[in-house]
Amino acid sequence: MSPRPRSGPRLRLRLRPQGVLLILCGAALLRIALFSELYLRYVKEGLRPYLVVSGAALIALGLLGLLARTHDEDDEDAHEDDEDAHEESHGRGAGEDDGHDHTRNPRIAWLLTAPALALLLFPPPALGSYSAEREEARVAALGTGTFPELPAGDPLDLTLGVFASRAEWDTGASLKGRTVRLTGFVTRDDGGAWSVARLRVTCCAADAQALKVEIRGEDAPAADTWVTVTGTWHPTGKPGTDAARPVLDAVSVKRTTAPADPYEKR
Amino acid sequence: MRTGVAASLLSCMENGRNAADAARVVARALVHAVVGGVALLAVVTVGSVLGPMVVLDLATPAMAAWWTVFTAVTVQGIPFLLLGTVVSAAIGAFVPERVFRRVLPKNPALAVPVAGAAGAVLPGCECASVPVADSLMRRGVAPAAALAFLLSAPAINPVVLVATSIAFPGDPAMVGARLVSSLATAVAMGWLWVRFGKEEWLPTVRRGGGAASGPGGWRGFRDGLQHDFLHAGGFLVLGAAAAATFNILVPRSVLDVFTGSPWLSVLLLAVLAVVLCVCSEADAFVAASLTGFSPTARLAFMVVGPMVDLKLIALQAGTFGRAFAVRFSSVTWVVAVVSSVLVGGWLL
Repeated sequence: MSPRPRSGPRLRLRLRPQGVLLILCGAALLRIALFSELYLRYVKEGLRPYLVVSGAALIALGLLGLLARTHDEDDEDAHEDDEDAHEESHGRGAGEDDGHDHTRNPRIAWLLTAPALALLLFPPPALGSYSAEREEARVAALGTGTFPELPAGDPLDLTLGVFASRAEWDTGASLKGRTVRLTGFVTRDDGGAWSVARLRVTCCAADAQALKVEIRGEDAPAADTWVTVTGTWHPTGKPGTDAARPVLDAVSVKRTTAPADPYEKR
Repeated sequence: MRTGVAASLLSCMENGRNAADAARVVARALVHAVVGGVALLAVVTVGSVLGPMVVLDLATPAMAAWWTVFTAVTVQGIPFLLLGTVVSAAIGAFVPERVFRRVLPKNPALAVPVAGAAGAVLPGCECASVPVADSLMRRGVAPAAALAFLLSAPAINPVVLVATSIAFPGDPAMVGARLVSSLATAVAMGWLWVRFGKEEWLPTVRRGGGAASGPGGWRGFRDGLQHDFLHAGGFLVLGAAAAATFNILVPRSVLDVFTGSPWLSVLLLAVLAVVLCVCSEADAFVAASLTGFSPTARLAFMVVGPMVDLKLIALQAGTFGRAFAVRFSSVTWVVAVVSSVLVGGWLL
């Protein structure tokens, strides 16, 4: 118990779980937002810079936390020598003994490993036909009216949102006589019909809303296949009534690859 | 890890420490490296071999959708959470205690609205405000004022209000209504504590203003940040899991059943806010996605959420004791619902 001479700062390697956890979280964020575009499966595009900055900050913080400088702890812990023995046997930091829990790793924090490891090892897929089938397809009630003229193009590429809102609300029938091309994934409807669908995400995947256009005249590919459908609008009823649903008479159905951003922008 | 070893060796040599000490450091580093390396290898091996099998088993569409929503809520919440904890750790480490005491009036009844309004300057989520309110009480601030701060800080700070305005584009009345009814709830709860609160509901330490705790400066900042982020992050994950489960189990069309009755829908969303535990910095986006509900019901969701939810009750029980947490949370829920109905009827 004799006091040993102490001089200057000492660095001692002490692996702290919070450092490992923080680095894990930071690495997961950087993996999906900086090194790939996987983040688009979960959140909207605008969040990318924040995700990258947060990931870098978490890694920096984690590296700081990984290496504890005993020099710091000497400041407040005058009898560190007495505790050296305890530390050897327990392998725990002196910080745990000062009664304040800021240096201790909160147990609930271990839950963070679940999403972090999932993102690092097996990033969950984008939401697809399962979610689209459960949701009632809705486009915002705009009220009927005459929509502006569609741009030129044959076939004309349209988003599902634009096609559906014109099919349901346009009294000017601007879709009439136009050949359009829609892209989305295949979903099965009740009674053998099938639709091409996209999900619309406002903020994150938790608020996904479905957009669907029923396809007639061609056989359905397997569910969740990404397809490009070319065809013409099939009027089903007076605009503004429940009978007016988005339906397309297909001329051709081509398989395609899933786009980088699986969701349709608002 | 390698730099750590090199740094340790370097500092040992610089300081001319004896060989035994150096050997001890090297031995410790080696043990860490070997144990850590083996553990990492084991995790990676098990993960890469068993992982695909487990994933295939769980790869029903519902399970996949659950994982996607779960990670989405977590990923979306983390930048906001980090921002909140950075600022709250900075305030905790660099703002001296006497500042709080000088700013607040002596009379608790007057201190309550001041503390409630002061909540606007702490851009943290509810997880961060519990430790801050605790330290305020330890520093001699009247419990009623600290509690008003506890309730208002997560609800009316700029980060949350900006998030709300982004979630409800073109609807500034929603931001105003959230600000007014949250502040009203916080002040009302503070005054209720002044009138009816009993000191014995709180642990003894908070009554007499115990010793100041925790180091200040950069070290306090770093420790506070690490701890608060990990603590709140764990609860965020818990909330994300609850939200994802709810999202998968209950299709939106069932929620639409309740939209018919305005009273039922307010109560339903107020209960939902307690169960879902969405962080206050992200709850506006969840509220915005509940498209079938009246604006007042969504307001109730956003007013109740930051003040009463399962993770907050757990946090408060851990900090102030269970007797306090149960009484305080149930009264706060009632006051928050009443306040959001009144303000919603007035502003929305």
